[in-house]
Amino acid sequence: MSEAVYRETGAQPRIHALPLAHLSLELGHLYMEDFEAGPERLRAHFAEVRIWAEAARAAAARRIGERRPRISTCFLIDDYFTRFSTPAEIVPLVLAEADRAGLVIDYLARESGCASADRLELAESVSHRLVESPPPGSHGARPPVSRTGWLANGQRTPTAARSAMAELAEWQPPQETAARNHSVFVDVELWSDRDGGRLWSCPFLAAVWQLARLGLLRHLGEPVLTPAPWTGRDFPHDWDRLPPLLRLRDSAAPFSAYRTCTLLPNSFLAVEDAVRVVLDQVDVDAGALAQVADRSAREGVPVPEQIAQRATYVFYEDPADPPQGN
Amino acid sequence: MTAPEPPARPVLVCGEVRTGLLPSLHALDVRAATQLLRLRSDDHVLVSERPVPRVLSPEILTGVDCPLPAAGGARNRAVGTVAARAALTSGRVLQTTAYVSLPATGPDARRPWGQYLVRPGLAEPFGRLPVRAVAEGVLRGARRGELDLGIIAENLSARLVRHPLLDHRTPFKSRRTRMRWVARRVPEGDKAALERFTLAEDGLRTVELRLPDGVAAAAAAGMCEDLALHDWLLTTLAHMLDDSRLAAADGPAAVLALRPAVDHLLHLWMPRAHVDRSLTAVWDALEEAPGFTRQWQTQVQRIRDQLALQAIPLLHRALSPS
Repeated sequence: MSEAVYRETGAQPRIHALPLAHLSLELGHLYMEDFEAGPERLRAHFAEVRIWAEAARAAAARRIGERRPRISTCFLIDDYFTRFSTPAEIVPLVLAEADRAGLVIDYLARESGCASADRLELAESVSHRLVESPPPGSHGARPPVSRTGWLANGQRTPTAARSAMAELAEWQPPQETAARNHSVFVDVELWSDRDGGRLWSCPFLAAVWQLARLGLLRHLGEPVLTPAPWTGRDFPHDWDRLPPLLRLRDSAAPFSAYRTCTLLPNSFLAVEDAVRVVLDQVDVDAGALAQVADRSAREGVPVPEQIAQRATYVFYEDPADPPQGN
Repeated sequence: MTAPEPPARPVLVCGEVRTGLLPSLHALDVRAATQLLRLRSDDHVLVSERPVPRVLSPEILTGVDCPLPAAGGARNRAVGTVAARAALTSGRVLQTTAYVSLPATGPDARRPWGQYLVRPGLAEPFGRLPVRAVAEGVLRGARRGELDLGIIAENLSARLVRHPLLDHRTPFKSRRTRMRWVARRVPEGDKAALERFTLAEDGLRTVELRLPDGVAAAAAAGMCEDLALHDWLLTTLAHMLDDSRLAAADGPAAVLALRPAVDHLLHLWMPRAHVDRSLTAVWDALEEAPGFTRQWQTQVQRIRDQLALQAIPLLHRALSPS
């Protein structure tokens, strides 16, 4: 069949491709309390992480066989929930401690970049793409998640809508939709609304972060949260002047990758379980999804279909609190 | 763990289109229409300017896990997602569609939800799909608790109508229509065809199509939106003519009854304009019988004749010396 003669560009969706590494390896996530615990905390963290980072590299290499794996590393600093110190003070410290442990950080990200970056409301965009896993009996008439701000992996305990006079309804348990014999019911708060606007929850921002690392975020077909090169100058004294995602080394492998591996202390286990509950219910950009699937298959390392399966974790013992001074 | 079995080939696509006048006194320009139909802030709203401006929303999904409507009481549970989208033609006519593809067979247990989400607009049956019974059931309409494409289309419409851009006033009265459609998949290379188009009561229309493999389900949805749009135009014009006949004794009232047709509707008749090229031939069946465009032209001619007749006394008065 011949091509149509008349075309309108506004009627054709477009989607841009991203360069992709084999693995995006996260070397850590810095919160204020870690910073306040002093450089020893970072030192202990990187010393531990180094061991697991090598294991993650070995696992990636085994998967792709003979070739050299393309692996990029990243590090996330929280500037969303609490603002502390300045990039000028923290970033050199983080880089020095990583270097001391023999680790290289390719990309540095700010947590608030997962909420909004380059004037795009990334978290809000992802929230529009949530499609709840339907409990049995869902025939099309359910209130959308956007009304509640909570996302579960099953059916909540029904609320008793009876008057006090009526006989008290018997309690019914919640039910995980994909339960095997027994439920592990998880209900995740995605955001809270307050006077200053919407505050996104840590698991929801972490889900956005995973989607960015998996190369699955777009805005009108264009890549978002693209890394800005670091010119080698001093880091600014204001977080807002630091790009949301910074490429620290020109020769680094691409930021986004077919798979992610995240190294975290045990206390993040619940958060990351919540991240998987979210990732399992996001309808990501179909064009981006197809690009990743095609390219990984052509390279002979096809990605798992389910997005949540592309993210792996290593959890290790939480660092001990520093000895109380005196 | 072994890789999950991919779903079987879809054998049936089912949908429902709701068509009606946008509750806004003035037609929305393309910019406002784009704002209205931005159902996802990061996704494309598609705009075609010619020959009639048409703005199409991105598709959104609704998760379902319920029995499919089926004639003869065959129970068949399906799990997956229904796609829904909205289109606005000429800033005036709002259409919302919900549609879903159904494969011939499916696994006996539910998959992890993430696996359904990577195949938007597909719902898998448990076991074998009773194709004929489900096709009939969808056209008949969902019973309580069964997959209800109409309610999904209606919910999307209700969500759009709440938008602050709309003033909830309309330039003329009209009725909304519902079109339920089923498309049976046929091998690639076979001809797409319209097998049946039925006008039922209460603004309900049903359509049966043959859709070759390789033609996207979205193209069938677009085809049915085009059919529903033109059917709505014909229906609305017919009602206006009826109303004007009632008012025929009173000249100015007849003019008032017909004027909205000229202002808002007559230029919208553009069958096939936004239909996928692989499906434009489907229209030919309707042009042969009952002759959609022939009907339209007859009605347009009647409106013009009516208006011309009403103009004669006015002209006469204007020319006669007072």
